[in-house]
Amino acid sequence: MSVLITTSIITAIGVFLAALLTLAERFLLDYGICKITINGDKIYQVRGGNHLLGSLQEQDIFIPSACGGRGSCGLCKVKVLEGGGPLLPTETPYLTKEEIENHTRLACQVKVRNDIEILIPEELFSIREYEAKVVNFKDLTYDIKLISLQLKGDETIDFVAGQYVQLKIPVYGNIKEEVYRAYSIASPESNKKQIDLIIRRVPKGIATTYIFDYLKKGDTIFFNGPYGDFYLRDSQREIIYIAGGSGLAPIKSMLHKMIEEGIDRKATFFFGCVSGRDLYFVEEMKSFEEKLPNFKFIPALSNPNPEDNWLGETGLITEVVDRHISSDGDYEAYLCGSPGMINASIKVLRSKGIPEELIFYDKF
Amino acid sequence: MKQTPELDRIQELMQPGVISKDGFLGNDTRNLTDILADDQRIVTNLGFTHQELANAMEELTEVGKKAFGNPVLVRGFLEVTVDSSKGKMASPFGGLFDKENVVVVNKKTGESIRWTTLNIHMIRDHGFYEGKGSYFRVEPEDLVRVLELYVG
Amino acid sequence: MYINPIVIFFASIFTSNIVLTNFLGMCSYLAISRDLKSSWGLGQAVIFVMTITTILNYLVYKYILVPAELEYLRYIVFIIVVAAFVQLLEMVLERFMPGLYYTLGIFLPLITVNCAILGVALFMVIREYTFIQSLAYGAGGGIGWALAIVALAGIREKVDETKIPKGLQGPGFALIVTGIMAMAFIGLSGIANIQ
Repeated sequence: MSVLITTSIITAIGVFLAALLTLAERFLLDYGICKITINGDKIYQVRGGNHLLGSLQEQDIFIPSACGGRGSCGLCKVKVLEGGGPLLPTETPYLTKEEIENHTRLACQVKVRNDIEILIPEELFSIREYEAKVVNFKDLTYDIKLISLQLKGDETIDFVAGQYVQLKIPVYGNIKEEVYRAYSIASPESNKKQIDLIIRRVPKGIATTYIFDYLKKGDTIFFNGPYGDFYLRDSQREIIYIAGGSGLAPIKSMLHKMIEEGIDRKATFFFGCVSGRDLYFVEEMKSFEEKLPNFKFIPALSNPNPEDNWLGETGLITEVVDRHISSDGDYEAYLCGSPGMINASIKVLRSKGIPEELIFYDKF
Repeated sequence: MKQTPELDRIQELMQPGVISKDGFLGNDTRNLTDILADDQRIVTNLGFTHQELANAMEELTEVGKKAFGNPVLVRGFLEVTVDSSKGKMASPFGGLFDKENVVVVNKKTGESIRWTTLNIHMIRDHGFYEGKGSYFRVEPEDLVRVLELYVG
Repeated sequence: MYINPIVIFFASIFTSNIVLTNFLGMCSYLAISRDLKSSWGLGQAVIFVMTITTILNYLVYKYILVPAELEYLRYIVFIIVVAAFVQLLEMVLERFMPGLYYTLGIFLPLITVNCAILGVALFMVIREYTFIQSLAYGAGGGIGWALAIVALAGIREKVDETKIPKGLQGPGFALIVTGIMAMAFIGLSGIANIQ
């Protein structure tokens, strides 16, 4: 008899606590339907309890993010005006003082627990996810590839020359979660069915290892976009393009635009490489020179090998730019390349009297 | 040895395929807290601080960076090459860093050592040199020997 | 003999410190004492959980186990109560105090298995404390534990910068420091004694 009582009392305590926890979970962790108000006018209804980034993605609003929402890239910044809760220690390493003051948060860390009001750049509304087939795969140099993606079905993409898209790298090998990586579009904006990307291999990189070693012609891949405010400004100034490595991509797209729209502004494209094996698209650039009478392509090798038989410009790209442009011209500059190259180029351009607001760049 | 949940979370981010393809730990099975403690000891025994090693690395990186991928000779015998890749690299401890691979060859001995901008940050701010067997592990002894750093 | 709760409170911090006199809760004490910030986070969580679970366990013991003559089951029941409470606390914090949840919350699961929490509940039974005494003992025990771990972390942060013989590094050295700290605390035993 006492055995029964003992068992039942212990069971009762256990059941009571389990029931308490279940109830708590039901009521405490259920946030019901929450409203997300974006930019004051668009209202979305979502199920509470999830992270803002994912909740927005369900509504087809894509905030740029490279890590897939793990709080390790710090890109998915949005302004949360109301209902975001306190700033979390997982966010602070990615935010500057000003950002904290103007209520910037990481969308992947903020949970939708109640009605929430946020501000995002208007152009993010035109960003969509696209499904595409790899129709072309070409080696441009020993470590740079061109891939062409054709949109499936009757989908089309509207972008401005110079913008970029984010490729979704699926789970492969020992990679457990999807990641996104940004690549500039190299093809003309008039082609809304197919985009070209120029990709340079990153040593031990998650995304480029997939693209170089796993992806094949005919495969399906997803990307979202277009993003970015790097595009050709409307003016009559002389254009200076400076690029290195895969930074040629957005410049190429801009040159296509100039040909197609008959923009015959004076333009010079300085393309910096180490040696002959890094050069690519020289023929295309030559044909651009024929179609655009005021356009000049100046490739520069900083360290040519004897077998390159190099007769063109030599020296660091900054030295070549310094030699070619005058200090009294009316210039506008577009730069794409590594942060080191861009910073050094800006210095040279500034020394030539080009104001900072006329220097546009896309830093890697 | 047990460690804080915070270090557990960071160690989770260091696994292969989370932030980087091969992870930050190589084939090291120790807990992060032990890796940090062991390297701290090694560096102290060498007579340096993390700060000093990171400064030496950063100094060479800054010089090499100015040559956009070309080798530069520093102190007469160190050949420094810095190669930039597109994109930013996330640190498991938080923060984003330029993707820059640095290779330094000691012309006197022919030995070389490699690191990234992220390594410099992780060494300076967290005393983390990556796990044994990791591709980007910076072995403190090798660093001191190849760069010919002297105490004091 | 009835001991004043205020005496119990201070005694459990200084003279009957759960770590330094009973050596309970050692594993997280040794593991999380490498830096001040984490140890203070864990210390706060222990103070909070220890105070509340001691009271809860007092009530469960007095009003369920004693009337049913099931005192011998207290080990199991106490652990279940602590585990369930920590779970519940995690949910409540996540919902209502997300900021606190992220600073304290990551330490909560670690506390469920901290034997100092169970130890305090069991001492409370052995010493036949009343409700108020248990409250004082739970709060004091938690503060005492936090004091010990923060002190150890402070010492270890300093010591980390010096050279220690290989065999003594890590837990070995921490235990020696703990022993010296325990001896130092004996010096306070004139204040009050409850054991």
